[in-house]
Amino acid sequence: MKGRPRIGVALAIVVAALVCTAAALASSNSSAAKASVQAAAISCGTTRTIGMAYPATGPATSIGSAQLHWAQYFVKRWNALKANAKRKIAIVQGDTQLGVDTAFAVKVAQSFASNPKILGVVGPAGSQEVVASTSALQGGGIGFVSGSASRVSLTDGVTDGVNRQGYFFRTVPNDANQGPTVANYIRLKIKATRVYIIDDQETYSQGLADSVQANLKARGINVTRDSVSQSTTDFSSLIAKIPGNTNVIYIPWQLSPRAQAFGQQLKAAGKSITLFGSDGLFDPATWTIAGSYDSFFPIDTNAPSIKAPGAPGPSEYFGVPSYAATQVVVTAVTKACADGTATRAEVRKDIAQTNIPAAASVLGFKIRFQKNGELRFGGDGVFQIQPGGTYKRVG
Amino acid sequence: MSDTLQAQLKSLAGLAVILACWTVYAVYLSPTQGWTFYLQLTVNGVILGSVYALIALGYTMVYGILKLLNFAHGDVFMVGAFIAFGVLTLLGGAYNPAIPAGAGGVLIVLCMFAVAMMGSGILGVTIERFAYRPLRNAPRIAPLISALGVAFFLENSMLLLFGSGFRTYNGFDLISYNGIHLGGSNGVFIQYLGLMVIISSVALMIVLVALVRWTQLGRAMRAVSFDREASAMMGIDIDRVIAATFFIGSALAGAAGVMFGLLYSQVYHLMGFLAGLKGFTAAVVGGIGSIPGAMLGGLLVGLVESWAQGYLNGNVADLVVFGILIAVMLIRPSGLLGTPELQKV
Repeated sequence: MKGRPRIGVALAIVVAALVCTAAALASSNSSAAKASVQAAAISCGTTRTIGMAYPATGPATSIGSAQLHWAQYFVKRWNALKANAKRKIAIVQGDTQLGVDTAFAVKVAQSFASNPKILGVVGPAGSQEVVASTSALQGGGIGFVSGSASRVSLTDGVTDGVNRQGYFFRTVPNDANQGPTVANYIRLKIKATRVYIIDDQETYSQGLADSVQANLKARGINVTRDSVSQSTTDFSSLIAKIPGNTNVIYIPWQLSPRAQAFGQQLKAAGKSITLFGSDGLFDPATWTIAGSYDSFFPIDTNAPSIKAPGAPGPSEYFGVPSYAATQVVVTAVTKACADGTATRAEVRKDIAQTNIPAAASVLGFKIRFQKNGELRFGGDGVFQIQPGGTYKRVG
Repeated sequence: MSDTLQAQLKSLAGLAVILACWTVYAVYLSPTQGWTFYLQLTVNGVILGSVYALIALGYTMVYGILKLLNFAHGDVFMVGAFIAFGVLTLLGGAYNPAIPAGAGGVLIVLCMFAVAMMGSGILGVTIERFAYRPLRNAPRIAPLISALGVAFFLENSMLLLFGSGFRTYNGFDLISYNGIHLGGSNGVFIQYLGLMVIISSVALMIVLVALVRWTQLGRAMRAVSFDREASAMMGIDIDRVIAATFFIGSALAGAAGVMFGLLYSQVYHLMGFLAGLKGFTAAVVGGIGSIPGAMLGGLLVGLVESWAQGYLNGNVADLVVFGILIAVMLIRPSGLLGTPELQKV
């Protein structure tokens, strides 16, 4: 009888040792695999592959399709050039379902990271998606360039405990730029004295709302702050709270159908207050409340690429920075593939050294990146929605 | 006076006291004082509650007859909203309606209601026939799991068929942005569309109550809910009665889907989840199995949600609604107008 506990202890030790060994092996295997994916030289061939993470379905579908169309437009033009006959580009698409669950973005990032053909990625669209998918993309050694993620903390290397330097880049200014632009426009152009700010409880929205609120309050504007869930459909009680003498309601939201419903319910409640949205709402297909304003990324609507026949129309201008992002990734991939093979690390290095002249840029200025992945030049613009639903740049 | 009636009256009296205290606080003591704001939120709550009440009726009817929590009911509501959207699109949509003159919008809405209610009703009967009837004598957990399976099946079917993008009714453009001002231009405002929703809900509830009280089918439904075996022995066709119950409950959910789409303009494949949960909460708060209870529960949930959004903050509205569900369950487990189940010993 005395022997049984000893046997039990011995068995437990053996099992624990086996588990530890297995875990150590698995860990070393996975790190080795990770390192090999990052360092693996890929034979470029005549068609090089890039990934595109964007919301193909979900509540942000319309901005996702705009991004895809502009990215495809760039690739189509690129592939059509004779000089590129032996260095064509193929896009592998991944649906991140922005606004549903960031888990979809993570799955897309994992599939891109494990696909040895993919050399660089355009996207993801949302800041929260960038946060969620960084680990998988960095783990796979992939550089990724977003055409819409604008949260400030993505590039500061501190706030969310992740340093994305050398991996993450964006072709849009961050919210630190957008907030003051909006606040100045509300104060100086609209000359509002009472502003009601409603965030949608997502970090993107709260960051912008905080920035605009602080800017306006500092200049003596009467600001009321409120909040509504991104899943809310009935805004009637929220609207009842908004004083009738409010001049501007600032809604830095991500889902344009929600903003449209809010605008319609505001009108139905008999309140005619000017709405001001953010870049997340820039969607002429859905967000069409005439007279409303929208801050948006800098784009040069007179750029030859934007005016060329075959370019997606003004209703899809949200995707223009994704054209620039695709241009950045494709240029880097082509440079890295100059000797017939490329690694993801080489592509990342070439993305960081991007230098696209203003004449070839759809943003209206030279595309270069700072060390942290931010654009070196450019600032946000302000658009006003016209009666037909078109957007006109006013500031 | 029976014990049940006494208990129900006691619940209603308690509720009235709570509502009176709340009204006094909201109007005279809260940071946002005044009758206008309070009444505006109340009107908004009644409109929202009318939709919840219709959903709750389906839950309560099915539970009353089968003792089954039909968790697919919220998704029947979603399908109803999609069917009506299809009708609206066929008829030209809100901006280019096929029947433009005068009351054209109302005619289109009537068509949407008729087709959505019929479609949802048929869907309900189909669900009952294939997902619940084979499990009628199985342990109670089996149909519950089946109901959850049907819910996911419907959600994913709609996702595959229509994608996960939002569809917009633009109901105010179809009917009117106008409404009635009570107490001057700064008073309480009720949109015609909101008024239409309240009137339609009340009319449907009256029809339902009349059907249950004064028709042969209604008597059969009550008999089956009281004792299924005894009803069968008395010659009632149980299958037919259960199928009719599913048809009616699902048709009401379809009507609620149309109202939701018209009012809040957004239709998508996951819309049934939260709305269904609120409808279920309404049914439980009112006393599951009780038709007047479902109506009362729906109104209460709508009012509480509206007040919470108005007086507190949007992010606590659901917290308050589901907090009240827990409180009611703790204080009166059978709900406000529910009947405690008697156990034979």
